[in-house]
Amino acid sequence: MGFDLHFALSTIPTIIGAIGATLLATILSCLGASALGFTFEMIRRGGGASGLAVRFLIDFIRSTPVLAWLYFLYFVLPFYGIRLGAMTVGILGLSLYYSGYLAEVFKAGIDAIPKGQQEAARALSLTRRDTIVFVIAPQMLRNIAAPLGNYFVSILKATPYLAVLAVPEMLGRAFDIASETYRYAEPLTVAGILFLALALIVAYGVKRIEQRLLATGRR
Amino acid sequence: MLAQAPHPASETLPLVRIVGLNKWFGALQVLKDIDLTVRAGSRMVVCGPSGSGKSTLIRCINGLEHFQKGTIQLEGTALGRNARNTATARRQTGMVFQGFNLFPHLTVLANCTLALRRVLMTPASEAEEIAMRHLTTVRIPEKAQAYPAQLSGGQQQRVAIARALCLNPRVMLFDEPTSALDPEMIKEVLDVMIALAGSGVTMVCVTHEMGFAREVADEIVFMDEGRIVEHASTEDFFSAAAHPRARLFLDTILSR
Amino acid sequence: MSMFEIWLGILQGLGITAQVTAYALVFAVPFALVLGVAQFLATGPTRFLVTAVIEFWRSSAVVVLLFVFYYVLPVMGITLSALTVSALVLGLNIGGYASQAVRAGLQSLPAGQREAGMALGLSRPTILLLIELPQALVAMSPTFVNNLIQLVKATSLVSLVTLTDMTFRAKEIAQTDYDPVAIYSALLLAFFVVCYPIALAGRWLEARVHPEKGTARGI
Repeated sequence: MGFDLHFALSTIPTIIGAIGATLLATILSCLGASALGFTFEMIRRGGGASGLAVRFLIDFIRSTPVLAWLYFLYFVLPFYGIRLGAMTVGILGLSLYYSGYLAEVFKAGIDAIPKGQQEAARALSLTRRDTIVFVIAPQMLRNIAAPLGNYFVSILKATPYLAVLAVPEMLGRAFDIASETYRYAEPLTVAGILFLALALIVAYGVKRIEQRLLATGRR
Repeated sequence: MLAQAPHPASETLPLVRIVGLNKWFGALQVLKDIDLTVRAGSRMVVCGPSGSGKSTLIRCINGLEHFQKGTIQLEGTALGRNARNTATARRQTGMVFQGFNLFPHLTVLANCTLALRRVLMTPASEAEEIAMRHLTTVRIPEKAQAYPAQLSGGQQQRVAIARALCLNPRVMLFDEPTSALDPEMIKEVLDVMIALAGSGVTMVCVTHEMGFAREVADEIVFMDEGRIVEHASTEDFFSAAAHPRARLFLDTILSR
Repeated sequence: MSMFEIWLGILQGLGITAQVTAYALVFAVPFALVLGVAQFLATGPTRFLVTAVIEFWRSSAVVVLLFVFYYVLPVMGITLSALTVSALVLGLNIGGYASQAVRAGLQSLPAGQREAGMALGLSRPTILLLIELPQALVAMSPTFVNNLIQLVKATSLVSLVTLTDMTFRAKEIAQTDYDPVAIYSALLLAFFVVCYPIALAGRWLEARVHPEKGTARGI
């Protein structure tokens, strides 16, 4: 049973058809991970008991595999009566997992802002919230554009994990074809090539956006 | 002994009143029993060798530094534990930093209007009007749409002065405003400060620029090792500073 | 089963997890060193080729790569054990990441180091081996520790290709015992116990290698 190129080509439309699910999972996970990661970092900076708890949670997340988190959420949430679709659980899992990494990115981005910026904001009587929104966050965004973009690409490359929860993204669709036809090599190779192409395209796009962002910041 | 400052206008209200101020950084005491009163309209220069606590003192006045002992009142409102009071008191002050601390992602105009709009809730058009007025005061209205990185150090510091003026503070605090500048830019900043002093703004200025002090200040505070060792009228300070440390300081700085 | 028995059951998979990790390192370390140095030295078409190889392993989604190699190699007539395929894919993927650290470490050395070596009459390979690489590897050692943690976590994937690692054990226990909270918490905890000490060692190393990077906590 060799590699059937013709069959491989015939699987392309079906697998590409699942690109919507892959991109949806990517975008929502990026948003979720950013929001959660930023919140975590703000709480961690606040210090106190909650700061310490979040600090430990971030360390814990970073020391555990994403696959284990996906299983954890997928099987534990229903145990507590929370029934969500596989896609939702997958997005939650990726958001939670990558929030641990993005919190570190936000931390580095904030630490790189000179201390005088916060002092100037205080001297101008800006509230803590206004200081974050108008002074810290915009400067942080410029500092973190590159690593943030890299993590967004990483999240894209982590979406095929959702196939283990039977989310019909590209890898999942490739496995569907495989189990119908009993031929694994062709659809998986196609999925592999498509994912690589997608990752390279998105990485290129992210780099372009990043350059635009840096350019507009320093008119 | 402390030489007491003259009180030609003792009937005016004290704007800033510091009593028994002590501050430690860890085990190191940086401010020791500071008593100081700044009257409205006063132009006070605080000088002294580096490490004498003068920057820390001025940073205490607007609550950027916490202190352990003593009281600081701004127009009767005490700074310290009570956050709301601290905020109220701080709003009476404008601060100019050694390193400018302009917001690099905002235009000159936006740097000036940010606090007006967010703190005083001034409408945008009015805020811009106020900002432009102060940018004109510091002689840089044409750079309103520029970003800080496009300005020279002297220009940035003048914008920082305008930014602080926008909130219409009762007292302007200057923390070594010319120390980070190249020599050729010092004058343009000092000129703006001299003009400001002429317009009756209350100022407390930490600086080594003794020429500026002589021309502008009406009283001079000399600090050494966390204490105020000399507090005199400008004339008295330059002609007859009593404390040997102050004499020595004057000799070194004037002979440069 | 008690929480403790579940935990012991999962730890039975620790051997496989360790074995896959060690075996993957056999692929990862030479790959990272050789390709990282090659990318640093090469120019023109050679550099393009080296970059292409690195990008293939680094930019592909590791989940997809594992399945592709697991199913495609036999079709091509190459029969490898699941352990070997897993070690190969995980190793070269993480080796691709580490190669970038090797290259970046070499590039960030001041040119004066090489010039001093040349001035002493040392040959290019000697300079690389005795002057440049030792400094680059020490400087990048915290990054390598992070790569190692990523590798350990990625081994959870081998449970999908029949290897009985910790993740596999957890799923096995889940089939006989309906106690998802205990089982998947234990799985996360098992990985935490393995990875967190490595992370702490990495932080210690970071403080030793880059003592200048203090963190200022403002907001």
